Amino acid sequence: MSKIILASILTFIVGFNGMSGTVTKSLYIVSGSLLSVDNNLSPYITFNDNPVFTQENPIINLYIGDTLDLWVYNTDLVDHGFVINDVNVSINIAPGDSVFVQQEFASSGVFIYHDSQEYPKYTYLGLAGLIVVKDHSQPCFYWNLKEHNADWNNQLFNGGTVNWSDYDPKYFTINARSNPNINMDTLARITGSIGDTLHLQIANTGQGVHSIHFHGYHGVIKYSSKNPSHIGREKDTFPIYPMETMTIQIIPDKSGEYPVHDHNLAAVTGNNIYPNGMFSTILITP
Amino acid sequence: MRNNSILTLVLSIILSFSIEAQIDVVQNIFSKMDIAPQHTLWDGSQTMLMGYTKLMGAAIDIPGPTLNYIEGDSIELKLRNMSQGASHTIHLHGLDVDQQNDGVPHLSFEVGHNETKSYFFKAPHPGTYLYHCHVTSTLHVQAGMYGLLIVRPSSSNLTWNGGHHFHQEKAWMTSELDTIWHSDSIINQPHDTTTNQVLLPDYNPQYFFINGRSENQLSSQTISASVDENILLRLANIGFYGNKYVFPYQLGAKVISSDGRPFPIEEITDTLVVLPGERYQVLFEPEIEFSDYISVSYFDLNTMQDLNTQNVSIDVQGFLSLPELNISGFEAYPNPVTNVLHLKNVQKEHVQILDASGKHICFIKNTGSVDVSRLQKGVYFLKGKKKTVKFIKQ
Repeated sequence: MSKIILASILTFIVGFNGMSGTVTKSLYIVSGSLLSVDNNLSPYITFNDNPVFTQENPIINLYIGDTLDLWVYNTDLVDHGFVINDVNVSINIAPGDSVFVQQEFASSGVFIYHDSQEYPKYTYLGLAGLIVVKDHSQPCFYWNLKEHNADWNNQLFNGGTVNWSDYDPKYFTINARSNPNINMDTLARITGSIGDTLHLQIANTGQGVHSIHFHGYHGVIKYSSKNPSHIGREKDTFPIYPMETMTIQIIPDKSGEYPVHDHNLAAVTGNNIYPNGMFSTILITP
Repeated sequence: MRNNSILTLVLSIILSFSIEAQIDVVQNIFSKMDIAPQHTLWDGSQTMLMGYTKLMGAAIDIPGPTLNYIEGDSIELKLRNMSQGASHTIHLHGLDVDQQNDGVPHLSFEVGHNETKSYFFKAPHPGTYLYHCHVTSTLHVQAGMYGLLIVRPSSSNLTWNGGHHFHQEKAWMTSELDTIWHSDSIINQPHDTTTNQVLLPDYNPQYFFINGRSENQLSSQTISASVDENILLRLANIGFYGNKYVFPYQLGAKVISSDGRPFPIEEITDTLVVLPGERYQVLFEPEIEFSDYISVSYFDLNTMQDLNTQNVSIDVQGFLSLPELNISGFEAYPNPVTNVLHLKNVQKEHVQILDASGKHICFIKNTGSVDVSRLQKGVYFLKGKKKTVKFIKQ
């Protein structure tokens, strides 16, 4: 049986650009296994476009002013929740059930959707993705930052408990990939030409803090869910806290290939192997 | 894709040659490794380091030597690798140099044992930066291969041209040390040129540093100042933990810039978090006498739990007295002044008037007096080539 829940609709529309409309989307909660950079498998659960498991949660792109009509299907055997951070959406979904969410997004930003059940258990186990609301005028790239500990995934998936104050992740991923595979993800790898205005949409859906350092260029913070007062700061290293989102603008002034990576250098490893962690490169052509 | 990479590398090399043609500063630096534990920690134990030195015979210290440049300098930095094993590089963190000079081994070049290679770059923005090795960076940075890089504006005692005036500055570089990583088998592991993959131990540091020192060693970092003295504190974190600073409220701490760029809106605060790779500049403007300490907590980025706290004393005593401002060079009277300020001994130098925040008001050129009647009441500075004089407009 399906439930229809109309989430609160924002009536005060800011930044309406005349191109907005209704975007209809479905998400399926499906469990599977996370394949790590060193080919280890551990239990994982994600939202998916189809009832087929993939490692990474879909990115939902909207225009400013769009209304999202979203069906969320729980194909799992346990209860799950569905929350969109910073907007008024929070729903429980029973096993085999589905819910309908309608939400208008009146201003630009990056919003995390995730499973809030037994938080942070299911968010940690993979159920967290991005909704990006923008004017679509700039090339965009998308990073969903996470960390993983395979033993913890097994324990939590099998009903066990963990002590979050002992959290010690071994894998560090961007869109569920680690170096050298991040550069193969065209959504993640930043590419462009000199003078382009490039936007990186970042969400940290992990449980650790990350400190993202850019070689070659400074960027400007255009959006921050945690620290709006930081908007306009020009930096080369960007702290991003758990469940924080951010938009960074880069306008490259020279060509070249430059690393961008977590400057917590322990997070540039994968299962203690350097450099199998949160490391990618920007490629800028003349 | 490959053709693009080759093209950009060729353009970078051409750019580096064009920079080479107009070098302002040529500097040498050595990369070395201890053959036995010799760096003394606060509890008396000793550990091995990999690091940079300015002289070939100098002992390795952490951080390495501070590299100082003036805004706009074109620099050739020559790295001579004497470390007996691993290759090294210098990554000029935050300077946004071109790919050829970025110090990332597989994208630019590395310097093998007994080799000397040069980095060519410019220092366009005043601020606080880092440099570190980017070969197996997780290991080599932990081993000690890092230092501060400071770019100053052409006007001394200003944070940047048109920025804040300060009377003294301090620079604190924070890091941690896990002695397991400094054991011979880890720090001195064979350099395998066929792979860039390296197996590393878990990271569980036992020592937490400000400028390579901790606990009782930090007495050397004590800040002593007078009331009304502006103190610039440069902060940089090269560790793998977060740093949480707590400043005594009497300091009137103001965070003015980060990563070599002024803030659009400055932030008055008594706490500041600095994550790995970040730099901040904080201005203190104490208004009363006091003695206290600045604390720095080191927190695990996965658990957010504080693992350690280090304290540095700060002692603000006395005032910037008006008589001592007229010791040598030009003099200003009357002080306080209402309408016309007279200057003596101004010799072919341009004296400028700054407000209390260091903001430029105007220049006084080779003249004996200046009309200050239109200035608002308050504290101002007359800044000459070698001397700064405070005066009060009443």
